[in-house]
Amino acid sequence: MKVITGVVGNDIHVVANRLIDLSLQARGFEVFNLGVNTYLEEFFDAAVETGAEVLLISSLNGEAEGWGREVKSLKAKYKTLDDLIMMIGGNLVVGTGNAEDIVPRYKNYGFDLVCHQIDLNTGLDSLEVFIKDRKIQKRNK
Amino acid sequence: MSLLQEERKIILSNEYVDAFDFAEVAEFVKNASKDLFISHHFKTKNKMLVQPRGGFPTYKKQFALNEFFVEANVDVLPLTIDSNTRLNDYATAKKMLRLSEENDVDMLNGYPLVNHGYRTTRKMITHFNKPVSLRHGTPDARLLIETAIASGIFEIEGGPITYLLPYSKNFPLDKAFLYWKYVERVCANYSELNEPINRESFGPLTATLVPPCITIVIQLLEMMLSLEEGVKSFSVSFSQTGSMNQDIVMGAVIKKLAKHYAAEIDCSDASINLVYHQWMGAFPMNKDYAEQLINMSTVIAAMVGADKIITKTREEASGIPTKEANAKTVANTQYTLGILNGLPNVVDEQEEEILTLEVKAIMEAVFNDSADTLWRKVFNSIKNGIIDVPFSPHIINHNQMITVRDAKKNIRIIKRANVPIPDRCYEYEKAQCDLAKDTTSIVNDIVHDIGIMQ
Repeated sequence: MKVITGVVGNDIHVVANRLIDLSLQARGFEVFNLGVNTYLEEFFDAAVETGAEVLLISSLNGEAEGWGREVKSLKAKYKTLDDLIMMIGGNLVVGTGNAEDIVPRYKNYGFDLVCHQIDLNTGLDSLEVFIKDRKIQKRNK
Repeated sequence: MSLLQEERKIILSNEYVDAFDFAEVAEFVKNASKDLFISHHFKTKNKMLVQPRGGFPTYKKQFALNEFFVEANVDVLPLTIDSNTRLNDYATAKKMLRLSEENDVDMLNGYPLVNHGYRTTRKMITHFNKPVSLRHGTPDARLLIETAIASGIFEIEGGPITYLLPYSKNFPLDKAFLYWKYVERVCANYSELNEPINRESFGPLTATLVPPCITIVIQLLEMMLSLEEGVKSFSVSFSQTGSMNQDIVMGAVIKKLAKHYAAEIDCSDASINLVYHQWMGAFPMNKDYAEQLINMSTVIAAMVGADKIITKTREEASGIPTKEANAKTVANTQYTLGILNGLPNVVDEQEEEILTLEVKAIMEAVFNDSADTLWRKVFNSIKNGIIDVPFSPHIINHNQMITVRDAKKNIRIIKRANVPIPDRCYEYEKAQCDLAKDTTSIVNDIVHDIGIMQ
């Protein structure tokens, strides 16, 4: 299964990005890593170009909050991305905040999976569960 | 008009620049106090020079910081440049400088040297009469370096590889080589007037599990690129790895090979110095622990035999340090260096041999590239992964090499990718590690290995 990943905005924190890449590969995903400093349009363009089923955005400096607001309107401009699984993880606010407030807010932005300050492997486990559940849903339709 | 002069004219046609009076600048450099030249201190001083980091937006605050440093018995003053200037965005730097001056709040993470100009800055530098080291991170530093030397700053840090691969995603690497070639020439030309201008490479790179052979290769290549333009004083550097033995081995090998490769290009007359960076990775939040870590770094620097040490502060984990905390590290480091006597002589012949073979193999692969000039050979070698820097954000970097720590916390290569590590060395590196683990556990180990000091 193809996954697009990268760090959103002007964030240049590269360490986690590289580890996400390695971990996804270890789990058998085909990874297209756009690296740090990536804008929303580039993520969606890459999803169209590769036919990826998952988009995993990460953020460390918290600027995802600003970009998150634009996800829905931008994604609506692309015709083929309705089934794209949207995941975001990392440190999702500037300063401090708690997950109870952050997770619903990001779901509202259009993300299926939101991992605020969650261990990498726990986050990827939840992605795999989500993918499995969705397959069962589709089969039952 | 020579090409260099034509280029100079283009760089200076910029509304934010001082009107340069080059005849006056040359006269200034020619008659400048020897005390301003770190190359002079390297030659005459019998101790490890201590240099902190630091830069504030306003002249007033920078001046006050320097006063604190001098009070703490500093050997070399730093001048760290703000990030707008590093990206040649002098308009934003100007606006932020004005806001900082008017509101007494720092709106820049360093000193905007180009906006302050050389006439103003020179007053501060000559007032303190200490060598100043320019710290920046600029791919196109041509104007910055002209301004720095005219100000009396006679040590320039950086280089086309070490200031690009850790800091940028897509600034073109070939352009960086050409811009730095200009910097080397300017430094070489001014070096003929008085003591030499010292160039220093930035060895820490990403400061994240970079194996010694990659660090050393890049140090040697930037040294050669600088010496071949006529620079006569150069510092190679690296940062604390996390293993004292690995640091000592690195120090021994880099000193030996720097001499060797300088001689290869008939530049044995240049003096080569060694700089050691205190731990550059993530720091503990606990400030007392941070001081312990800093102190340990100083001890290792002494074991390595560094000519200069660059310090951190107890506030590293929480942001830009106060001048008080910064000066405190300088005083503490001087104290530790003063009482460190009777150090043992540690030599690990096997590790030195392995590392030397690795470095020589990579250097040879670079030289064997078919391009006609050294910078093009290096460019191609980075492009095709012969040189691969772990955790570089730059798109040209391969990012295929994988490193972990062994049981003694040495950084080891477990996947060499395109880097031509000789088989014997590769087997040795892997033999030190537990390779039976699956990738998920290796990733967990890497996370742990990066944060060992926290």
